[in-house]
Amino acid sequence: MATDDRVVVEFDQHSPEYRETYPAQAHELREQCPVAWSSNHDGFWVVTGHEVLSAISKRTDLLSNDHDPAGERNGYQGISIPERGTSRGGFIEMDPPEQSEYRRILNPFLSPAAVKVWDPFIEDFTRACIDDVIESGRLDFVDDFANIVPAVLTMAMLGLPLADWEIYCEPAHMQVYTAPDSPNWDRMVDATMRMVGRLAEYVQIRKTEPRPGMISALLNAKVTDEFLPDDGIIGTVTLLIGGGFDTTTSLLAGALDWLDARPDERPRLVDDSRYLDLATEEFLRHFTPAQGGGRTITQDCEVAGFEFSAGDRMFLSYAMCNHDPASFPEPDDIVLDRFPNPHAAFGLGVHRCIGSNLARLDFKYMLREALRRMPDYRIDHAGKEQYESIGTINGFKHLPATFTPGRREGPPLAEVMADWQARLDAEPAPENLRATEGV
Amino acid sequence: MARAIVNADLCQGHTLCNMAAPDIFHLRDEDGHAFVAIDGELTPEQLGQARMAELGCPERAITVEE
Repeated sequence: MATDDRVVVEFDQHSPEYRETYPAQAHELREQCPVAWSSNHDGFWVVTGHEVLSAISKRTDLLSNDHDPAGERNGYQGISIPERGTSRGGFIEMDPPEQSEYRRILNPFLSPAAVKVWDPFIEDFTRACIDDVIESGRLDFVDDFANIVPAVLTMAMLGLPLADWEIYCEPAHMQVYTAPDSPNWDRMVDATMRMVGRLAEYVQIRKTEPRPGMISALLNAKVTDEFLPDDGIIGTVTLLIGGGFDTTTSLLAGALDWLDARPDERPRLVDDSRYLDLATEEFLRHFTPAQGGGRTITQDCEVAGFEFSAGDRMFLSYAMCNHDPASFPEPDDIVLDRFPNPHAAFGLGVHRCIGSNLARLDFKYMLREALRRMPDYRIDHAGKEQYESIGTINGFKHLPATFTPGRREGPPLAEVMADWQARLDAEPAPENLRATEGV
Repeated sequence: MARAIVNADLCQGHTLCNMAAPDIFHLRDEDGHAFVAIDGELTPEQLGQARMAELGCPERAITVEE
């Protein structure tokens, strides 16, 4: 600890106080200091100022995402504060150049051009989810809608059986909403271990049965003449499930909850795609589904006038920086056509959310369809349940609603799932470079 | 001469410039990182759009020169 003049604050992103007061607590902390020290979770810096965040996020020479529980390199604790998991969580817990290689392999699946091919898939599943509830006049926006489409899409893009989304659903959500002091922590760890175990089995299966998608691409890729290690691939697949399952879901739930009290805002979001584009960025800024990321300082240094010591932990609070009035006037108001809106909801720097293009595409279509087909929905607030900790992901467990029943527009979800599985199965398998080379 | 520049070292593929000014900023197929698609000088209308993109870039990767 190099500085004795650090500003010490009481802050824990997993606490009920944070959940209950978000985003207001950000202002209190920022006014004390935009980079302050919390002694919770063995001590960490919390960054709440957007300007400082911009400056520091670029410094890959000073910040590390590395997670090294075995102490083979540096013993760093990765992106979760407190530390989570006994292995690396894929490329988000790596630094360049290793991290860049994984992204180079996966970017072609997730670029704006690449994600467009999934339009018909998103359309079919969104329609079917709504069809399965439209005649009843009630649904849970999380369980019946927002949980399903992003998860099934993630399965498809990985090259995993679509119906398996249900197996991963609970552990994927539990691992982000369980607070470190929760009585459910051990149950969450068990569920996560089972999920990782199953994914590890599929990575092995794809070595002999390649399918189009990101798992086979990772298995076929080489970095400096070597195939990627199994643990790097398994960690990455687990990361993509977490990112794919929970973030778009949370953004949808946040937006639909906010629009509950504002029925007048709904028609324009359905009819005006430019307005929906801007509104999407504003929902991203305000709710910031992925609330922030942990880092480790790699050397004694000074950035933006603040001094740090090698080994210090730091929480980059994208959420609180997104409510900095210096960058975002009236930051706690949702202004649907806010512009400019240079928010940090997808992170800043080299770790920008790799699924951002998919998230936007999926979110916009799903929100528009929900508003078009259930235009008068009302949230049942008695049944609404926020995540117990929003410190990792700002989301909901349940968001029930009622609406005037409508008519189906197509076949049920089970049929759509079977049809799409058959279409995906009919696609030719990629080469199996490991088999060719006898690895 | 009015022109827009994307600093490729700073751009991380947020794609907001393309949303603000789709005719000026195009996105690479492989990773969505931005590049300037206008050869030569920006028209006054394009200059306005480029300025908006500059303000909206989360990485501050865009500069507009006049």
